[in-house]
Amino acid sequence: MSTIAPSPVLPQQPRAAVRIVVSALVGFHVLAVFIGPFAMPPGTSQLASSCAWLFQPYVESLCLANGYRFFAPEPGPSHLVRYEITLPDGTQKDGAFPDRQQHLPRLLYHRYFMLSEFVNTIDSADAPDGPGRVYAKAYAQHLADEYQAQTVKLYLRRHYVPRMTEVHQGLRLSDKALYEERPLFSLSTEKNPDADP
Amino acid sequence: MRTLSAVRAWAADVAAGWNRFWFQPTDPATLGLIRICAGAMLFYTHLVWSLDLAAFFGPRGWLPREAVRLLQKDTYAWSYFWWLESPAALWTAHVAALIVFAMLTVGLYSRVVSVLALVATLSYIGRAQGALFGLDQINALLAMYLVVGPCGDAFSLDRWLKSRKTGAPLPVRPSWSANLAIRLIQIHMCIIYLFAGTAKLTGPAWWDGTAMWMALGNLEYQSLDMTWMADWPRLINAMTHITVYWEIFYCALIWPRLSRPVMLLLAIPLHMGIAICLGMVTFGLIMLVGNLAFVPPEFIRTLWPFKDAGQGRAGDPAPARAVPTRAARTATQSAGPKR
Repeated sequence: MSTIAPSPVLPQQPRAAVRIVVSALVGFHVLAVFIGPFAMPPGTSQLASSCAWLFQPYVESLCLANGYRFFAPEPGPSHLVRYEITLPDGTQKDGAFPDRQQHLPRLLYHRYFMLSEFVNTIDSADAPDGPGRVYAKAYAQHLADEYQAQTVKLYLRRHYVPRMTEVHQGLRLSDKALYEERPLFSLSTEKNPDADP
Repeated sequence: MRTLSAVRAWAADVAAGWNRFWFQPTDPATLGLIRICAGAMLFYTHLVWSLDLAAFFGPRGWLPREAVRLLQKDTYAWSYFWWLESPAALWTAHVAALIVFAMLTVGLYSRVVSVLALVATLSYIGRAQGALFGLDQINALLAMYLVVGPCGDAFSLDRWLKSRKTGAPLPVRPSWSANLAIRLIQIHMCIIYLFAGTAKLTGPAWWDGTAMWMALGNLEYQSLDMTWMADWPRLINAMTHITVYWEIFYCALIWPRLSRPVMLLLAIPLHMGIAICLGMVTFGLIMLVGNLAFVPPEFIRTLWPFKDAGQGRAGDPAPARAVPTRAARTATQSAGPKR
């Protein structure tokens, strides 16, 4: 059988014009990738803020506005949201999220964990109408809808990490002394829909 | 005059180096493997949303429009989920996205589905602000760079179908855009680790060596009880210091051939530690997927279990293959029934 051997295709760089255009795009993109975390508050210089303003549409629309500050400045205490619900028949229901038993698999648990961490991050006592309060209200409203509840009370639980020496001496990570709690939001579906705690 | 010519020679060297770095065609094997891993992670990540889809994306869920929009005011964050409020529309879009991620994983219509996968990934991120973490950021960047290169040119159904159509194994087709995509992932990973490392420098616990304990001793993160390490403070100190220095110097030491394998090998215990001990398997794995960008395609080909005849090394010319002439084809077809 006779055959035709095609000529070998040698790998080539693109044409000069293509290289110039792509190089410009690459330069812009890499700068944007750098600007994302560089200009991420807190601790942002004026220069970084100005650069961020220039790149803002590109960076934000492509999800490049990330600090990448994993476990920084240091791994701190974790935060949970505990809730107390009053049902229409008067019975009380308690719960918290994230909940290892309820939220499976682990990735779903982590999504709930981020909900509670996020509300701690953005909640501020100085901004009563700020995003922290709006998110807390949204959590309370969602629970009220889910359980057809009359009242929902949310508490933010801070769980401190014990020192190595304390654990060495027998302190358990789940010890009650390591928890601190404060009211987060209170919602009543009867009269005043978003009464303060 | 001599100075001018020296500057010219230097500029020419820089230009050649730049072109070699970004535009030298490469075997798309590394990009193909990243497509499989990132596609599978995208599929799993979004499959898990299915368990509570309405609670996270519905109008009366944990993250209602007014809350997310308040945070996104004056930003360019976007999502197609803002137009999908009814459960039927929400589920239709969700199932469509899962199909797209599955197709990306197996490499079917790769070029098209890579674009759709990016759009879908960014839409979920734009809508679920408040329930996101590092996994979503890395998912998005990998989805973005899969659009840049021919991610379906290796280890894909696209390639298998094409090979079946032509009746012969396809040669490796080195591609400059595959190199470009890989380079962009590499640079992005360097920037991530640089900021992850330098941000830690402001935390006293990363200096006094106890930060790793603060992560391992956090009950909400914990998936493996590592409290026994409280008896080994110097081991905790060493892990903490290695983590910081590894992250800070990654952007420099990942490039030389001598230190690259060391940096990649260190990435495995670091990220698998996060995966196994801190319950973030998805995040640990996706960071390792990002690190795959530094694994040469030749090495990946040696590990790939399904050998494809006719594939050569990256940068090699395509091997000549036998193409029957018309006369030979006629003779073959008339010789008897097909097997």
